Amino acid sequence: MSTVVCFSAILALALNFQWGLGGMVNFGLAGFYALGAYSCALLMLKGGFNTFFAALGAMGIVALVCGLVALVTLRVTEEDYFAIVTLGVGEMLRLVALNEDWLTKGALGLTGIPRPLGELIPPPVYLYFMLALSVVLVAACVWVLGRLSRSPFGRVVRAVREDDVVAATLGKNVLWARVRIFAIGGALIGLAGSLHAFYFQYIDPTQFSTIVIAYAFMAVIAGGRGAHVGAVAGAAAVMLLLEGSRFAKELVPGLESDQLAAVRIIIIGIGLIMLLIYRPHGFMREYRLQVPLKHSPGQARPQPPKEAPT
Amino acid sequence: MLQTAFNGLVTGIIIALPALAITLLFGVLKFPNFAVGSMMTVAAYMVYALNVQLGWPLLPATAVVAVAFGFICIALDYVTFRPLRDRGGITLMVASLGLGFVLENVARFAYGNAARSFAIELARPFRFFDIRMNREQMTAMVVATIAMALMYVLLTRMPVGRAMRAVADNPSLALVRGIDSASIIRWTWFITGVLLAVGGVLIGMDRALEPPMGTSYVIAVFSAAILGGLGSPLGAFVGALLIGLVSELATLVIPPNYRIGIPLCVIALVLIFRPQGIFGQMYIRR
Repeated sequence: MSTVVCFSAILALALNFQWGLGGMVNFGLAGFYALGAYSCALLMLKGGFNTFFAALGAMGIVALVCGLVALVTLRVTEEDYFAIVTLGVGEMLRLVALNEDWLTKGALGLTGIPRPLGELIPPPVYLYFMLALSVVLVAACVWVLGRLSRSPFGRVVRAVREDDVVAATLGKNVLWARVRIFAIGGALIGLAGSLHAFYFQYIDPTQFSTIVIAYAFMAVIAGGRGAHVGAVAGAAAVMLLLEGSRFAKELVPGLESDQLAAVRIIIIGIGLIMLLIYRPHGFMREYRLQVPLKHSPGQARPQPPKEAPT
Repeated sequence: MLQTAFNGLVTGIIIALPALAITLLFGVLKFPNFAVGSMMTVAAYMVYALNVQLGWPLLPATAVVAVAFGFICIALDYVTFRPLRDRGGITLMVASLGLGFVLENVARFAYGNAARSFAIELARPFRFFDIRMNREQMTAMVVATIAMALMYVLLTRMPVGRAMRAVADNPSLALVRGIDSASIIRWTWFITGVLLAVGGVLIGMDRALEPPMGTSYVIAVFSAAILGGLGSPLGAFVGALLIGLVSELATLVIPPNYRIGIPLCVIALVLIFRPQGIFGQMYIRR
């Protein structure tokens, strides 16, 4: 249970990096997540890699695919199109998992996925090991992303998000920065997918439905776009609230499980819109380099420029 | 081959309606609305409620729901998108994703996951030189063509349509000329609602009614709008016909499961070679 929170925290971190920091919406998250889980599983089952290299491989594969998508789409166009393309690519990836029986066993799913150090640690203790591993990985991701977003690269990334024309004018390679952000996010998605495969030891296409996207977006918005710790906290809060709502089944009799699942997504959707309207910056602030301005004492952080009304 | 082409044409003319809705909205409000699929689903289920549960004939049921759904869209805009209007395209896009989740699952909550269909009597397919057309396909063609013709008249001959095009083209200039943009936005949503309701019913007739029915068309609809040039109504129509034709014909070569890949490839090709689409103009944001 809490281990699952860690996967969604990593997913939220990835989305936060791509969307919150880089300004690129990834609507194909579920598909990329599936790609990560399947590549990890297949590298072990068919490729004979051990768990560590399989996870690394999965990260590499998802990063590569994400990078390619960004490279092809962003070379010519704006973010609107990018969202549509990611949506489509995500759907295609899901379809491949569903239809290529020779590789992915289709709707039956892959079973018997090995776990890291699975032979050494006895099953009863294993859950705790997995939890510890996931927590360490989440912490590592937060640390790495924190370093990245404070680095010069992070500043370029934010500059690109705020105004790509200005960034380009200042001699920054906008396209390359975006491709890298998206690929790094992809690597994280691959990591989350690998953990998913390790934890459940069984994957099938239905595990990677749109609800994954809903969770991740909700977590990022709740946590505050651009704030890494916020994304983790947001993911934890969203998962606990919504998975906790499974127990609501006993409280509200007469609801079928389909209906309950539907109510959950309705709540996420409404929550998402309400947060966007009432709490657009979430509950935690993004890290910003703060320089006290001489001209305006007391106002360390200039107001972000309002976008022109359309 | 001919048969496949005909089926493609029918699919194309069905997705022309939502593609037109997307393109009108994009023109006026400058954001891609990802909730279109779920909006069609909800409208189709509303027609289902009148048609099957109350026993109305399909045509009046569709007409009533189309008008009602126009007002529902205005209401949805009022609670969802209006407060976010000046926050930029990405925020609106994410909000539309959330709205899509809500609507699709409202339908799922009310009617479950099982596929349903409208109460229409089965009729023997009609043959015309070797091409088999069934009654639903004929109806879809006729209805969608009429809707398109009406839209054309509205956009080119009527003051509201001209105002809409003016706002889409240059909002500040339109404002200077005394066009009330709030009322134009309401009109746009109303027309969107009508188009989506009709589109939803046609999809429901062509396939079946189930919660993901609308969402599964989203990519095709967007690729039609992009191919035609986002913001260009004529482009949406032509783009939709082309997408329908190409993706049906492609099933002769590739496995039908991957039909959705065709619109995706079309988007990629358009973006690489002609990002403004067939009829669109290059526009520079900001």
